Amino acid sequence: MEKIEHTTISTNGINMHVASIGSGPVILFLHGFPDLWYSWRHQLLSFADLGYRAIAPDLRGYGDSDAPPSPDSYTILHIVGDLVGLLNSLGVDRVFLVGHDWGAIVAWWLCMIRPDRVNALVNTSVVFNPRNPSVKPVDAFRALFGDDYYVCRFQEPGEIEEDFAQADTKKLINRFFTSRNPRPPCIPKTLGFRGLPDPPPLPAWLTEQDVRFYADKFSQKGFTGGLNYYRALNLSWELTAPWAGLQIKVPVKFIVGDLDLTYHIPGTKEYIHEGGLKKHVPFLQEVVVMEGVGHFLHQEKPDEVTDHIYGFFKKF
Amino acid sequence: MEHRKVRGNGIDIHVAIQGPSDGPIVLLLHGFPTLWYSWRHQIPGLAALGYRAVAPDLRGYGDSDAPPEISSYTCFHIVGDLIAVITALTEEKVFVVGHDWGALIAWYLCLFRPDKVKALVNLSVPFSFRPTNPTVKPLDGLRKFYGEDFYMCRFQEVGEIEAEISEVGIERVVRRILTYRMPRPLILPKDKSFWGSKDETIPLPSWLREEDVAYYVRKFEEKGFTGGVNFYRNFDRNNEMLGPWVGCKIQVPTKFVIGDQDLVYYMPGVKEYIHGPNFKEDVPLLEEPVVMEGVAHFINQEKPQEILRLIVDFIFKF
Repeated sequence: MEKIEHTTISTNGINMHVASIGSGPVILFLHGFPDLWYSWRHQLLSFADLGYRAIAPDLRGYGDSDAPPSPDSYTILHIVGDLVGLLNSLGVDRVFLVGHDWGAIVAWWLCMIRPDRVNALVNTSVVFNPRNPSVKPVDAFRALFGDDYYVCRFQEPGEIEEDFAQADTKKLINRFFTSRNPRPPCIPKTLGFRGLPDPPPLPAWLTEQDVRFYADKFSQKGFTGGLNYYRALNLSWELTAPWAGLQIKVPVKFIVGDLDLTYHIPGTKEYIHEGGLKKHVPFLQEVVVMEGVGHFLHQEKPDEVTDHIYGFFKKF
Repeated sequence: MEHRKVRGNGIDIHVAIQGPSDGPIVLLLHGFPTLWYSWRHQIPGLAALGYRAVAPDLRGYGDSDAPPEISSYTCFHIVGDLIAVITALTEEKVFVVGHDWGALIAWYLCLFRPDKVKALVNLSVPFSFRPTNPTVKPLDGLRKFYGEDFYMCRFQEVGEIEAEISEVGIERVVRRILTYRMPRPLILPKDKSFWGSKDETIPLPSWLREEDVAYYVRKFEEKGFTGGVNFYRNFDRNNEMLGPWVGCKIQVPTKFVIGDQDLVYYMPGVKEYIHGPNFKEDVPLLEEPVVMEGVAHFINQEKPQEILRLIVDFIFKF
């Protein structure tokens, strides 16, 4: 871990903290919510050994990167702009790309709007959801899952932050990371996070040290930066009208754990396995469903996921 | 010529269309403060040659919808409208011709959806107005260079320029702007002296008829200027969100034309950009830029046949 370099890059109007290691073709790793560069701690070391330069930023709003205060500074265009600026500043023309959770959404959009900067993509957990011209995303979630659905509960600036502030951050991290509940996560207003049962003992793949790292960073920074991505969902929808109907034209491998709650969103399994995803991502080459694996697949089964990624990128 | 409303991107967009229904589409994009009407000479000419000329009123203008929020006028909204218009009419790539704001929007259309544009003819506004690092806000740069009274700075305060236009009178404002030929940036002192006195008539040049002015005046009286001015109110916001395209080249075959009396030609860096190596570096498929002698900003109205000729000779190659 000491071999991992930490630098700060000025990009797209913010300062971005970047963890990197190794030399060779560049792989850019994009974390999700509520996560950090640290999510990729295993892959950073493995890919350096495999002859790549592995780069994992703290995305805007997280960790040691800047967190502008307004949700309007967290549209998908801002985040992709940060990453293009990062690549420009590193002098990298094209990268291999790996995304997880919100990082997967960002990765889909980087491929959509700047396919010329990406060699190939391994995306995990979150499929590409084409833009519905008549319904904004948060409205769609509300209609499908109700007002207590976490995306809806995250909308009002400041509101869910109170629940986060009242909870024990270490217990929350444990809960979020190790949950194997496939149902859509709801946070009833009356209970907040107090409704969550105490988490079980940590699994082997998540150590006390890991949880403390996350808890410290999120206690310092707060959750607002990460939450602002959700708050900019409808605005991003409005701004991405130019790409309505456009396919993602980058070679893709998609991996998801069969206990991941995203895999259990109604319609998703059919969408992945019966041609829906391929229609929008015509160069989707491989789909892997990892049995018995939850949302944080690359932390739960790091070597397997590394092998899957390496096996794909090797081809290019 | 047919007038139609296309429903797309949440609004109704008025388009003037002429030409065979299977003709290659030429999308004509007007600027400020004009309308689809500024292409009145090119539309029939293109149609007669077998093209399908499509000239929208951009969002905020004329017979198209004008959403109330300023935030609904980013370049992403407008390009979104145009993608909706294109996909409603064809699955093929289209030719695009832009002037003034229409030219800037056309550059963005080529950056965002090069898969939709076969070739581009842009008038007046070169690609020097490309995305830049948002650490420096474009408006701050303009304000520093030209001062508070530069027209783009005067357009920022909500309601201010609208009130001034109202007081001066739309007819006078339209006449003054369309006939402006000063080879220098447009400065609007707050004392309203730019517009001249109410008794002073503004004669029209040979290329502009009273009925043309009357059409613009009628439409701007109906709609107001806020829609069009809102484009300018998104300069900084646009640049904040254009991060993904900083340094991105235009990969569409392009023809660029500007008049040597166009006020844009005298904005800082523009002459050097057009005649130097940077334009071609940013737009590798750029043909040699054309500078038309003795022609001012509203080039497609001032030299309609020459512009039609330039368009046709260029798009004929593709």
